[in-house]
Amino acid sequence: MNYFFSSRFSENQEVITIISIILGVLVFATLLFYALGRFYPIPKINELKQRTRSWWVMATLFILATVLHPMISFVAFGLLSFVAFRELTSISKNIRPEDRKAIFWCYLAIPVQYFLAYKGYYNLFTIFIPIIMFVWIPFVLVVRGETVEISRSMSILPTQLMFTVFSISHLAYLLSLPELQGFNSGGRGLLLYIVFLTEMNDVFQFTWGSLLGKRKIVATVSPNKTWEGFLGGMLTTVLVSYFIRFLTPFSITESLVTGLLIACTGFVGDVIVSAIKRDNGRKDTGTIIPGHGGILDRIDSLAISAPIFFYWVYNLYYAV
Amino acid sequence: MRTLGFFLLYKVIMRYFLSWIVGVKWINKEHLRGKGPFIFVSNHNSHLDTMAILAALPAKQIPTTHPVAALDYFGNSRLKKKITRFLTNAILIDRNRDSNKQSPTNRMVNYLDRNHSIILFPEGSRGAPEQLQHFQKGIGALLDRRPDVAYIPIYMSGMGKVLPKGEKVLVPFVSYVIVGEPRKVKASGVEDIVAEVTAAVRSLEEALKEAIRTPSGE
Repeated sequence: MNYFFSSRFSENQEVITIISIILGVLVFATLLFYALGRFYPIPKINELKQRTRSWWVMATLFILATVLHPMISFVAFGLLSFVAFRELTSISKNIRPEDRKAIFWCYLAIPVQYFLAYKGYYNLFTIFIPIIMFVWIPFVLVVRGETVEISRSMSILPTQLMFTVFSISHLAYLLSLPELQGFNSGGRGLLLYIVFLTEMNDVFQFTWGSLLGKRKIVATVSPNKTWEGFLGGMLTTVLVSYFIRFLTPFSITESLVTGLLIACTGFVGDVIVSAIKRDNGRKDTGTIIPGHGGILDRIDSLAISAPIFFYWVYNLYYAV
Repeated sequence: MRTLGFFLLYKVIMRYFLSWIVGVKWINKEHLRGKGPFIFVSNHNSHLDTMAILAALPAKQIPTTHPVAALDYFGNSRLKKKITRFLTNAILIDRNRDSNKQSPTNRMVNYLDRNHSIILFPEGSRGAPEQLQHFQKGIGALLDRRPDVAYIPIYMSGMGKVLPKGEKVLVPFVSYVIVGEPRKVKASGVEDIVAEVTAAVRSLEEALKEAIRTPSGE
């Protein structure tokens, strides 16, 4: 049994604390929506209940993927990238039949990228998709020989790879970071911190937006995004970031700045995916998570916040 | 033994391969649960189409369900013929019609009379990917002979990108298989039956678009 669990998990007080907080939030949400549905039924209560049920499943899978053996964690994040990339290419109306071979190469890039993350080959990890695949995909398209609309495919495919594979693989790389003196929870703590904060920021922005939302930020892209929701969510996220900074090596100021960073980048990821969905005439990127839509609908914020958080913390604490 | 083999191949291997790796989603799969015999009528974009239908059927029905395939394509070598028959129970039809054998319709009717089900792709060939072609007359002739057998319209989308005609590399794409309710044919006369079945499959195409499009209000 010890083989499957990461050796440091059971002795790591911080990790146990944040897992308890996550489960506590879920219990609170479940009871709240149950009570609301019972005594004060608001519109969309069933959707909220279904979303909470899906949150239970996602949180359980995520916690397992984090505390189990690192190998399992890397495979789990690789699968997450795989499904997200599949959703993104599948809804894209601009993909040509001639692009199939290049897409096949994109799929092959996923295990390579996660292998580099697993081994902690930092230099190769950071250039493999932005440099090597960035050149290789257009080249494969050129060799295929169909030039009609080829420039479009040349731009779409590397971008989709960046958005779903490169960015998400930074979550996995957190687990490969070396240990720091005097910082107990390590990469595992950072992983729990960024995912918990980004997802909570989504929830906070949604909640504040539903309660007070009036002034729309980008009405043509996503009518649900309001200044009230964004700012309310941001304040709450900064506050939560301050309280769970025990997972990180951050000082108080750094934890506040990080909260701000996550709130802004999470919002950016969210509206980017909204715009892509709108362009392709879809309401969700998929149907895999009841109440939420596709995997990409859930990790859209992480796709931007994860790499930015990674390089922020890397350059603050890990760069020699 | 053969039933167990079919179970493993379709309900375990194919089903999870299609849903987890390829990304196939079945909509209204429960319409396949009734008691046969049925005539499954679907559009055709890929070799995976047959697999996607068989993998969605109740395990008991798989050994008595026969996809109708072209002899000149699947039977042009003895080995290919054997494999096709062994793996899918296929009825191989001679498209050239110059042989003196039993007519294709007669052969299909024989299977239906033994309470076996049939999978028909009336577009004839996989055609241009992701475009609904004209339906051939075969389905009309069959339903004209056995109007009491229920048919189930099926519409598939996306599989033509996963494994289109003439390609050997499989590339995952989210694909949809939407199943209509079992129904008996209302029209009479070969042409009218073909028109009715075509309309049934087309309405599923619309239903699928409706299910995944952006709502105008949001």
